[in-house]
Amino acid sequence: MLEIEALHVEVAGAEILRGLSLHVPAGEVHAIMGPNGAGKSTLAYALAGREGYDVTHGRATLEGADLLALTPEARAARGLFLSFQYPVEIPGLATLAFLRAALNAQRKARGEGEMSSPDFLKLARAKAAALKISPDMLKRPLNVGFSGGEKKRLEVLQMAVLEPRFAILDETDSGLDIDALRVVADGVNALRAPARAMLVITHYQRLLDYIRPDRVHVLAAGRIAHSGGPELALELERSGYDRYGLAPA
Amino acid sequence: MTPASALPRDALPTRRNEAWRYSDLSRALADFALPPDAARGEEHVIARLAGGARAMAVEAGQAVTVVERLEGAGLLAQAQDIRLAPGARLTRVVFQTGGGVALSLARVRLGAGAHFRQIVLAEGASLARVETDVTIEGEHAEVELYGIYLAGTGRHADLTSRVLHEAPNGVTKQRIQGAARAGGRGVFQGKIVVARGAQKTDASQAHHGLLLEEGADISAKPELEIYADDVRCAHGNTAGALDEEALFYLRTRGVEEREARALLTEAFLLEAVPEDAEAEVKDEIAGRIAAWLRGGAS
Repeated sequence: MLEIEALHVEVAGAEILRGLSLHVPAGEVHAIMGPNGAGKSTLAYALAGREGYDVTHGRATLEGADLLALTPEARAARGLFLSFQYPVEIPGLATLAFLRAALNAQRKARGEGEMSSPDFLKLARAKAAALKISPDMLKRPLNVGFSGGEKKRLEVLQMAVLEPRFAILDETDSGLDIDALRVVADGVNALRAPARAMLVITHYQRLLDYIRPDRVHVLAAGRIAHSGGPELALELERSGYDRYGLAPA
Repeated sequence: MTPASALPRDALPTRRNEAWRYSDLSRALADFALPPDAARGEEHVIARLAGGARAMAVEAGQAVTVVERLEGAGLLAQAQDIRLAPGARLTRVVFQTGGGVALSLARVRLGAGAHFRQIVLAEGASLARVETDVTIEGEHAEVELYGIYLAGTGRHADLTSRVLHEAPNGVTKQRIQGAARAGGRGVFQGKIVVARGAQKTDASQAHHGLLLEEGADISAKPELEIYADDVRCAHGNTAGALDEEALFYLRTRGVEEREARALLTEAFLLEAVPEDAEAEVKDEIAGRIAAWLRGGAS
C-alpha cells in the first residue's frame, strides 16, 4: 500500500529526514513514535505535499502511484488523508460547506458524480452523531472556537466522510482528555478495514492503548531506528528514546 | 474632503489633492467629454454630472432600506444628501458593478438616536469611488459602515469615508474588507473625527485587504482624529496574502488550489457583511463575490 524508500527531506535548508524507509501494507495500522524533533511531523507534511518540505532524494508511492509527483489535492483524490496535529481555523467557512466541497472535489477528481445535497447531509449527520459532533457544530466556521477535543473529532469526521485509503494521524492524541481520546479512538477504529491502512504518529504510548497498532517504528534522527510489534510501544514508555540518539539539531 | 479653494481653479482633483491621492480622477476622466463648466472640484463635478444633488430624508420612527445600483458602462456620478431625523433608521446598500468612471458621494446627517447602516460592494471600474461623509449631530446616534471592494485586473475600487462625531454618546462601527488581483487597485480611506464635545463616543474601525496575486495593490489611509478625552476608539488595518497553512489544509482535503483560494477569499470578504443583514442582500453579495472569484480569467 504505502511504500517509502530512502526518503530525504529538507526544511529551510536543514535535512530533517535522512533516508527514511517504511512499508505499510493494506489492512494494517502502523505507529511511528519518537522524540520531539525527530522528524515525525515532517514525514506527515512531506507525504501530504506541503510547500517548503523539499524531498531531495527517495520515493513514496501509494498503491503504486508516485505521491511526490502529485499536488496535495491529487494525493487526497488518490486516497491520502492527513489528520493535522493543529487543525487550521478558518473564520467564515462553514464546516458543513467545507466538508461537502472537499468530498465533491475528490469525487470529481476520481470521475465520480457529485453527491446531492440531501444525500450529503444524511451522510454527514450520521457520521457526526457517531463522533458525538452536534449538528450545531457543523454550522459553525471550520474549527473556529472549537476545543482541542472538538477539533480532533472533526478531523476524524472528515476522515469518515472522505473514506481515504491511507490515513496519517499526526499527534491525534495531543490536547485530548481521556473521554475525548476514547471517542476519537473509537472513530478511528471504526475505519479500520482490509483495504485501508493507517500511520499513527504519536509521542506517547497512551493513544496506542486505544488504537492498537500492528507494527511500531521508532523515528530518530531522521530515519527509522527500530521496528517491532505493539509491545515496542510499552518498552519505549518504560525506557524512553535516549538509546536512539538525539534529534538532529 | 478637499476644500474647493485648495484646488487649482478649473481643475479636477488629482492625486496631489490629499483625499484623491489614490484615485486620479482627472486622468480617469480624460477619456470623457465633460460639460464645459464641470471642472470646479470634486463635489461640484459629481453634482453637475448627476444633474444636481438628490436629497432624501428619513423621518422619526421610520425604518427604511435603500438599495442603490451604480452600474453600466461610461461615466456614472451621483451625489446625495441624506438626513436622518431623530430616531430614524436607514440601511443603505450600494452595489457598484462597473463603468468607466463611477462616482458616488453621499452626505449623511444623523439626529439623536438615529441609526445609519451602510453596506457597499464595489467591484471597481477604471475608477470607482464610493464616498460617504457622515455627521453625527445628535446624541446616541449609531453608524455602521460595512464595505467590500473587489479590484480585478485593470480595476480601481475606492471606498472613502469620513465620520464626524459632533454629539456625545455616538457609536461608529466600520469594517471594510477587500481583495485585489494583479493590476488591480483597492483603496480604503477612512477618517473618524471625534469633536471636543463628543464625549463617550465609541468608535471602531477595521480595514483588512487581501492581495491575491503578485502585482496587486491596496492603499489604505485610516485616520482617527480625537479631540474629546473620554472616548473609546479602536482601529486595525492590515493588508496581506492568503494564509498558506489554511490553503494547504483545504488542499489536503482534495479541494483544488484555485477553488481553495476562492473559498478562503470568500470567507474572508464575507466577514465584512453583518450577520443580521437582510437575506437577499447577503445572498446578492455572496453571489457577486462568487462570480468574481470563479468567473473566467482573472
